[in-house]
Amino acid sequence: MAGSRHRFFTPLIDENPVTLQILGICSALAVTTSMTTALTMSAALTAVLMAASGLISALRNHMPKSIRLILQITIIASLVIITDLVLQAYAFDISKRLSIFVSLVVTNCLVLGRAETFAMHNPPGPSILDGLGNALGYSLILMIVGFVRELLGRGTLFGFTVLPSVEDGGWFQPLGVMLLAPSAFVILGLLIWAIRAWRPAQVEANEYPLTARAEG
Amino acid sequence: MPGLNPVALWRQLLALPNESRGKTLAMAFLVAAVCSLMVSMAAVVLQPQIDANKAAERQAKLDAMIAELPELAGVLAGAGADTLQTVIVDLKTGTETGELFDGFDMAEVAADPETSTELSDDQDIAGIGRRPDYAEIHVLKAGGKLELVILPVYAAGYQSTIRAFLALRGDLNTVAGLVVTEQGETPGLGANVATPAWQALWPGKKLADENGVLRLTVVRGRGTTEFEVDGITGATRTSTAVSDMIAFWTGPNGYAKLLDALRAGEL
Amino acid sequence: MSELFLRAIFADNLVLSYFLGLCTYLAISKRLDTALGLAAAMIVVQTLTVPINYLIQRYLLLEGAWAWAGLPDVDLTFLKLIAFIGVIAAAVQILEMTLDRYVPALYRALGIYLPLITVNCAILGGSLFMAERQYDFGESVVFGLGSGIGWALAIALLAAIRERLRYADVPEGLRGLGITFVVTGLISMGFTAFSSVALP
Repeated sequence: MAGSRHRFFTPLIDENPVTLQILGICSALAVTTSMTTALTMSAALTAVLMAASGLISALRNHMPKSIRLILQITIIASLVIITDLVLQAYAFDISKRLSIFVSLVVTNCLVLGRAETFAMHNPPGPSILDGLGNALGYSLILMIVGFVRELLGRGTLFGFTVLPSVEDGGWFQPLGVMLLAPSAFVILGLLIWAIRAWRPAQVEANEYPLTARAEG
Repeated sequence: MPGLNPVALWRQLLALPNESRGKTLAMAFLVAAVCSLMVSMAAVVLQPQIDANKAAERQAKLDAMIAELPELAGVLAGAGADTLQTVIVDLKTGTETGELFDGFDMAEVAADPETSTELSDDQDIAGIGRRPDYAEIHVLKAGGKLELVILPVYAAGYQSTIRAFLALRGDLNTVAGLVVTEQGETPGLGANVATPAWQALWPGKKLADENGVLRLTVVRGRGTTEFEVDGITGATRTSTAVSDMIAFWTGPNGYAKLLDALRAGEL
Repeated sequence: MSELFLRAIFADNLVLSYFLGLCTYLAISKRLDTALGLAAAMIVVQTLTVPINYLIQRYLLLEGAWAWAGLPDVDLTFLKLIAFIGVIAAAVQILEMTLDRYVPALYRALGIYLPLITVNCAILGGSLFMAERQYDFGESVVFGLGSGIGWALAIALLAAIRERLRYADVPEGLRGLGITFVVTGLISMGFTAFSSVALP
């Protein structure tokens, strides 16, 4: 039991796929202008990652090495198409705002990465759990970035006004820059800094240490 | 012959070494088949819902447009529960084409020589060069009776192309509203055509008199009759352009045939 | 056309405005020379795959594409994603083999980057944007070339800056990934300025 709990919790902070392993950030940032899109994207990724991990793990003993990658990509792509169709059918407005980013889950390194490194070597149960853990770690980052961007950029959360803006007679002046791309990079950079300040084990080694120059 | 039993065949397949050619082919085929089955099923099951969403979106855009029309929201509410229909009409014959295509773009239709008609200089009072042969109009009926027609119109203004919706009441002679949706006229002067204050002058005006002569114009200064709309001070050319726009589109090269067909109860 | 081209490079830069291809962008930008190799491979592949995918979409997937075969109602749009990925993987593979056969010098320079590109979201993203924005064939060529150049420009900039960063005394926790994100944010901020530039 301790093993599975470990498997579930470590990807949340200690081995977060986004901040530590640089996996799956491509799609992670574009959808963080609001909490709603970030949450929908998280749910879509969680569903795909769990299903893909489970399916690939179930087939792991019968996958010929030579066509392993293409089989994995086919399975993932099918799951993504289905997820995309479900979103279009039941959450049409949001799926329009997510634009191509749901489809891009296919090339999300996180899904393929977990399939290749974990699901191919473990039975379905732990693989699904591993998928869930990693998906939640990814979702956590998405939600934090989405929270900061929507709150400071619009003064709202999930579309509900939290900080009344000047235009509506309140006091809050929305920071338009938060809704633009650069802010996402900077927020994520600062978030990584915060996590590493908390967990110093994640700090990267200094490849080029500064040393005092020898006299003479 | 144990090979004919499907279960035995399956076991045999699973027992094959992973790297053998037979198993590679079989796995590739099986995964492809299962995945395509899943995707196709999802597509077939969900497509009606997706189509319904797209239709709802089209309707919502229309509703947003209606909401901008002054006092039309009231007309719509009072007109019964019937919703607005979108119809593509052929301007040459004044009839419905029966087709409804997504993303109908009037400017595109007007630019394509195959779907538009060249106008001679004296026909082209609105300065648009070519007239599209098709237009997307909206019709509101309540209890089978025509309540409202919304016609897209456009003309060359002073500095830009002015695009608007002209809404007519069921008698097809009373203006229900004019909404300018696109213009790039002089800010503060001609651009006032897009203000609610100016557009509020339009409802209730009449297109033609009892003899059927088209008379609605934008005049200089103050309008006095039900055929005259106040001009915009300092923007004579823009005012004239709007006047010409109405004259062209309600005239024989515009929607005249369609209006005749509607009067005759067609569509 | 020139407007589309310039927009694809600057204002609508795939990586700096749409976050596409970030994984490779961050991983392969430590040194300028490797970054330039990847950048060149990226331009080639993007310029090839976007128009090819346009043709696939236009003549095989869209509703009515099968009209010549007497199947006017067939709409295979939902297979778009899987078709695009297949095309990209195949195009990269063929390009790799062609280069190996005819231009071995170039193959040695670009070879190791080509497989990386197959799983790069910028390539797939470029094709998906082409489909979503309904470009025609000419536009898809221009868009492919422009977005490839834009991506290449971004990674070259970042790699050059990161080479300099070695001499900077970055706070511990920010070192590596953290500072790279902040720098990317600043580059991206510079590029947003292009979106307000009126193009000819």
